[in-house]
Amino acid sequence: MLPIVAYTDKLSVAAGETLSVMASSFGAREYRADLRRIIQGDTNPEGPGYKDERIDLDLGGARKAVEKRFFPGSCVIVPAQRVLSGLSDFTIAAVVRPTLVDERERSIISLPGFARIGIDGEHFVAEAHGHRLEVKQPVNTGAWHVVSLSFSTETGSLTFAVSKDNEAASEDVKPLVQTAKVAGLRCDAKEVVIAASRGSDGRPAQFFDGKIDRPAIFGAEISHDALRRLLADFSQLARMRSLLAAWDFSVKMTTQTICDISPYQLHGRIHNAPARAMTGWLWKGQDLDWKKRPDLYSAIHFHSTDFYDAGWDVDFTVSLPDDLKSGVYAVRLVPDGDEEAAYYCVFALRPPRGKPSRNTVAFLFPTCSYLAYANHRLAMDVPGTEIGMGRVVELDRHHMFLQSNPGIGFSVYETHDDESGVFHSSRLRPIVDLQPKVKSFLGGFGSNVWQFNADTHILGWLDAIDQDYDVITDEDVHEEGMRLLGQYNVVITGTHPEYYTRNMIEALQGFTDRGGRLMYLGGNGFYWVVSFNEDMPGIMECRRSEAGIRPWEPGHGQFYHAFTGEYGGLWRRNGRPPNHLCGVGMTSQGFDICEPYYLAPAAKDPRVSFIFDGVSADAKIGDFGLAGGGAAGLEVDRADQSQGTPDHALVLASSTRHTDIYLMTPEDLLDPTPDWSGTQADIIRADLTFFETAGGGAVFSTGSIAWAGSMAWNSYDNEIARMTSNVLRRFNDPERFSIPEHKDS
Amino acid sequence: MSRYQLDQSDLQFAREFLADPVGYHSPGLQRVLNRMRGADWACKYVLVTQERHGRWLLGKMPRKRGSEIEIVEGVVYTDLLDAERDIFRRRWQDLTGNDLNLALQNAA
Ligand SMILES: [Fe+2]
Repeated sequence: MLPIVAYTDKLSVAAGETLSVMASSFGAREYRADLRRIIQGDTNPEGPGYKDERIDLDLGGARKAVEKRFFPGSCVIVPAQRVLSGLSDFTIAAVVRPTLVDERERSIISLPGFARIGIDGEHFVAEAHGHRLEVKQPVNTGAWHVVSLSFSTETGSLTFAVSKDNEAASEDVKPLVQTAKVAGLRCDAKEVVIAASRGSDGRPAQFFDGKIDRPAIFGAEISHDALRRLLADFSQLARMRSLLAAWDFSVKMTTQTICDISPYQLHGRIHNAPARAMTGWLWKGQDLDWKKRPDLYSAIHFHSTDFYDAGWDVDFTVSLPDDLKSGVYAVRLVPDGDEEAAYYCVFALRPPRGKPSRNTVAFLFPTCSYLAYANHRLAMDVPGTEIGMGRVVELDRHHMFLQSNPGIGFSVYETHDDESGVFHSSRLRPIVDLQPKVKSFLGGFGSNVWQFNADTHILGWLDAIDQDYDVITDEDVHEEGMRLLGQYNVVITGTHPEYYTRNMIEALQGFTDRGGRLMYLGGNGFYWVVSFNEDMPGIMECRRSEAGIRPWEPGHGQFYHAFTGEYGGLWRRNGRPPNHLCGVGMTSQGFDICEPYYLAPAAKDPRVSFIFDGVSADAKIGDFGLAGGGAAGLEVDRADQSQGTPDHALVLASSTRHTDIYLMTPEDLLDPTPDWSGTQADIIRADLTFFETAGGGAVFSTGSIAWAGSMAWNSYDNEIARMTSNVLRRFNDPERFSIPEHKDS
Repeated sequence: MSRYQLDQSDLQFAREFLADPVGYHSPGLQRVLNRMRGADWACKYVLVTQERHGRWLLGKMPRKRGSEIEIVEGVVYTDLLDAERDIFRRRWQDLTGNDLNLALQNAA
C-alpha cells in the first residue's frame, strides 16, 4: 500500500521560506527525502510519459520513519479551573439528538474522573463515582432528548432522567427516571468534555455522533421538569444562583471558541472542527438563516469521524532556495530505497511576496478543489459511482490505503458514519490523492486521472512549449486578490476548478474586467461556494444547498455556512453564475468516454482567427485524447445567455452527442422526463467559448475537463494543444481586445 | 434493492456488451448495467491495481467503510476490457444463477 505518508504545513510557499514536513510510517523503517519539480504526472503509456526534475538541494540523509496515527473525533474541551472542585450536590444536563448508536460507548458530557452522561450501546447511561444508571428503552436516533444527572447530599439520591421530545407537540413529555442511593459524592474533575470523555492515554475518547445543545452544570439538585423549563430560556438560566456553567453554542459560532453564559465564564474550545451553526432544540423552521436568529442555531453536530489537524510532529523543515523558480514541486519521500513506493508531498512554490516576478502567465493551482476532493472515496463508499463511470472501478494503492485508514478524514464528497454530510476538508493531514502518478475514479477510460494529476497535463504542456509561468494557489488569490492577479496578462486554470470562495471569484472577475485574460481549461468550474475560517487556517467549509449534483444535503435550515454566514450552494444561485466569468456553466457529467467538438460558424469569425492559426480546416477537432478518447467530456459546460453568458460571446465549437450516462444537472432538470440524456438532448454538450471584456481582456473556455487530456496526446503535438498555444500567445500579448459593436451572426 | 431483474431476454444485451464493453450502449444494455453496477453489494467487484495500466487483481468491495477488500484468488487481468467482460460474466452468474457462456450457446 503506502509504506510512508506525509503532509506539509502549507500548500503554497514562496522561495526563501520554509516548509515543514510531517511523515508517518505505515510499514517503512526509514526514508530519504528529495525535492522534485513536477512536470507531468500521468503514467499512461499512451501519454507523453511521467516527468519530474530533481532539484539539487540536500534534504538530509536517511531518516527513521516514525509511526504516527490519526485521531479523528470532535468534541468541546473546557478547562474547569477550580470551579467544580469539591462539588457534591449537582445537576449535569444537556439536550441531545443522537444520530448514530452502535456497540460503542459514547459520552455526551463528562467530568473526567467524576461523572458522565452518555450512550453505551443502545442505551442512555449516567455514571458518578462508579455508580451506573441505565435507561432501559433503546435510544431513538433523530429525536431531541433532555438528559440530566443530579445528586442531593440530603436525600442521598443520584437521579438520572431522560425525556424525549414528542413529534406530536400536544403530548406531555414523560421522563424516564433511574435512581440510586449513594453515600456521598465529591467532584475532583479539572475539566469538562462535551461529546467525548478522556481516554486512559489522555486523549479525547468515547466520541458522540449527533447534536448537542445547551449543556449545563449546576451546584444543586434540580428536578427534571424544572430543568426543561430553565434550559429553554437562557436569560432565566443565566440568573440561576446554582448555575456553574451553561454553554450557548450559538455565541461565536464562526470561531473555535465555546462560551459559557454563567458568571464563572468557563469558556472552552472545539476540537477537530465539528459542525457549528446547526439547528438546535428550539428550531422549528422559524428562520432558515442563522445570522437572523442565531439563538435557534445553538446546536453543534459532532462526529466521531470529524478531523481537522493531524498534529503530527515535524520530521524536518525545508528552506526553499531564493533562486528556485515558481512551479509545482513535491518533497518526495522514498521509503527503504523503494522508489516505486515513494510518497509525494505536493505544494506550489508561488512567486515572491510583495514584488512582481517577471512572469506574465500564471497557472492557478486549484487548492480549494483539491481540498474538496481530498482523500475522496466516491467509488468505494457510493456503489452507484460505477454507473456514472460506465466502467469498472480501479483501486489504486492510495485507495487501498484510504480503505484501511478511514481515520485520515474525509472529503466533502463523503458522509459521516451517521450519514450526515461532511462539511469540512482540511489540508493539515496527508492528502493521498494529491500526488502525481495516482489514478482515480472519474477520469474517463484511458488515463483515468483527476484533479491534480489531470492538471499535470497542463503543466506538461507548459513545459513542452517552453513557457515561463508562475504558480499561484486558490488560497493566495483568496488572500491577495487583484494585488496578485494584477501582475499577470494570463491566468490559466486547472481542469476542474469547481470550488470557489467569494474573494476568489470576485478577484478573477475583477481581473478579466480590468483587461486580464482567463484561460479556463476545464469543466464544471466556479460552481460551488466554499469558505475559509479566520480562526482555523487550512480548513474549508462547503454546504451544498438546493441544487447541483450533490452527494448529500446539509439538512433543513442549515444551508448557511458557519464559517462566514454565506449561503451555501451554487454560485449561480448567489449572483455569481460562472457564465459571467467564463461564458459557460455546468450542464452535464459522465465519466466513461469523451467526444470531439464540431466547429460552429462562429469559428470563422475574424475575432477568433488567431485561435485557428495552423489548425487544419477540419470540422471535427479533438477526436483523440487521454481522457476518454476525446476533448469534450467528463464534466461539460454550455454557453447560455439566460444564465449570464455575454451576448457577444462566440461559441466556436461544440460536442454534438454524449453517451446516455451524461444526464442533466438537477438545477436545470426541473421536470425529469427520460429524454434528458447524452444521445437525446442537445443541451448536453461542451461549448468552446470565447469573448472579449470591456477592459480589453478576453476569456477562452473549453467547458470540458477532458480538454487537457487531448492537449497531452501525441506528446502535445496536436490541434488541441496548438489551439491552446495560439490562445496563450495572443492572450499574453498586452494589445487590448475590444468588444465588437454589434454581435456578429 | 433494484426492481429490475435479469432474465433470458437480456441475453441480446450481454452479447452487445461483450462486443463493446465501454461507450455507447442500447437502452436495454444500459438497464442491465445499471442493475449490475448499482447498489448491490453482493456483486460489487472492483479492480485492485498491481501495476498502473498493466496488471489488476479482482477484488470485492465490502459494504462497511474501512473493512478489508476481499481479493478473489487466482484472477489477474492485464487488459481492462477483458476485465470488463469477465466481471460482466461473474455478475450474470451472481444475478441469474446461470453461466453466461452456456446461456449464450443454448440461445444460439
Ligand atoms: Fe466535481
